[in-house]
Amino acid sequence: MLQIKNLSFSYGNTPYILNNLNFELSDGKYISILGENGSGKSTLIKLILGLLTPTKGTIQNTFQQTAYVSQRFESLNKQFPITVKEVLTCYQKARHLPGSNLIAESLALVNMQEYADALIGTLSGGQFQKIFIARAVMGNPDLLVLDEPSNGIDIKSQNEIYQLIRSLNREKHITVICVEHNLKAAIRNSHLLYHMSNGIGHMCNPKNYINEYLMENTGVEEYVSI
Amino acid sequence: MFQYNFMQNAFMIAILISILCPLIGMFLVLKRYSMMGDTLAHASLAGVAVGLMSHVNPILGAFLLTSFFGVVIERLRRHFKNYAELILVVILSLSVGIAITLISSGAVHANVDSFLFGSILTVTSQDFYLVSALSLISLFIISQLYHSLMFMIFDEEGALIAGINVKWINYVFSILVAATISISIQIVGILVISSLIALPIATALQLQRGFKPTLLYGILFSFIDIVSGIFLSYWINAAPGGVIALVSVFLLLGVLTFQKIVCHAGPILKLAK
Repeated sequence: MLQIKNLSFSYGNTPYILNNLNFELSDGKYISILGENGSGKSTLIKLILGLLTPTKGTIQNTFQQTAYVSQRFESLNKQFPITVKEVLTCYQKARHLPGSNLIAESLALVNMQEYADALIGTLSGGQFQKIFIARAVMGNPDLLVLDEPSNGIDIKSQNEIYQLIRSLNREKHITVICVEHNLKAAIRNSHLLYHMSNGIGHMCNPKNYINEYLMENTGVEEYVSI
Repeated sequence: MFQYNFMQNAFMIAILISILCPLIGMFLVLKRYSMMGDTLAHASLAGVAVGLMSHVNPILGAFLLTSFFGVVIERLRRHFKNYAELILVVILSLSVGIAITLISSGAVHANVDSFLFGSILTVTSQDFYLVSALSLISLFIISQLYHSLMFMIFDEEGALIAGINVKWINYVFSILVAATISISIQIVGILVISSLIALPIATALQLQRGFKPTLLYGILFSFIDIVSGIFLSYWINAAPGGVIALVSVFLLLGVLTFQKIVCHAGPILKLAK
């Protein structure tokens, strides 16, 4: 379970980026965090991952193991000399994860067995994201945090990735926190949506979110079937 | 030439250097921090000067002072995140300042030229044992941290979240760079040590292989650079540092040319078939 109470954050003496956030995420849920650029989504994720310390308030995280899939494809050094298998091997060895067949199983999970010896720079955005999801779930995490998993990826790969994340949540019962710009995917896959705007957030259900989003961005309030 | 004791020592040290330099170089180059090698090489000159002045083995002096500067660089790198290269300039200025002041003031009663340009004539048995011990300890530590280092340079944020002690490993790595430089300066020379750290890896990267093959090719190229450099310098009676640097550059150019030819000839040969 993840419980966020009166959470505020600012860098030094600058104005608050996050202002008094409160929400609770129970085990096995899939939550998407939505909002405009600069609304504080990434900061919230960094706080949940423990990369930043709250200025005020608390984050109570009872999950045993958290895995993170960052949004790295665009910034990746495409000439980095590392194969898919080596990416997974160094993760397994550095974390001392047991299992002689773990890498093969992880590649099978994302249906990428034939790419084991491919250099990471030769992969497409979708393939790269799948490898990073495979790496993240290697240690059987109970919380998976993803940062815009469909960013810069074609529609076909997007569908495959969301199917994969959904099955990890629904079948393996891994709790998912996903920062999203893909409204359609968020509404289709999430149990809950957390809408952020100017450092303030609130929980809503997918149907209400559409109305709120339309009101905020177009001034029109009507239900659209997605 | 192997009838001479100094030549046997020099050759043994050369083998150790040819393994250690690319091993460290691989992580430095991929971290895009090759200039750290150059900065710490200059810092080692200050260490040599302090060692000679205080009658301590100059290699040990170089190791201690270079390790200190390595740790300082790592500490400041965290503080000045967006201006990391500035720290290298500061440390380089400080260490060269110490070295030149000590040497030019006459406080050091010895010739430091052999450390600047490299020399195989000055390798004593004591140096050999010290270098061997430092090399073996360094190789052992790298073998223990190999996968964590690989994970960190590929995805430092991911390593941090996965629970890898990134901060501690970065400090240990800084000391390993210092040890490698201290071990290498006597044969290769302070002025060209950074080329031996970066060039064999730059050459191996042209082959576009995975991490382990690139590292192994780097070690092979480094071995070719050092051994042929030592042999050639012996025959033409020149300082080994300069010859090793020249061989490294020519080998890189050779591999680049070979790759270009293969890239262009490949499709033509396919069409001919």
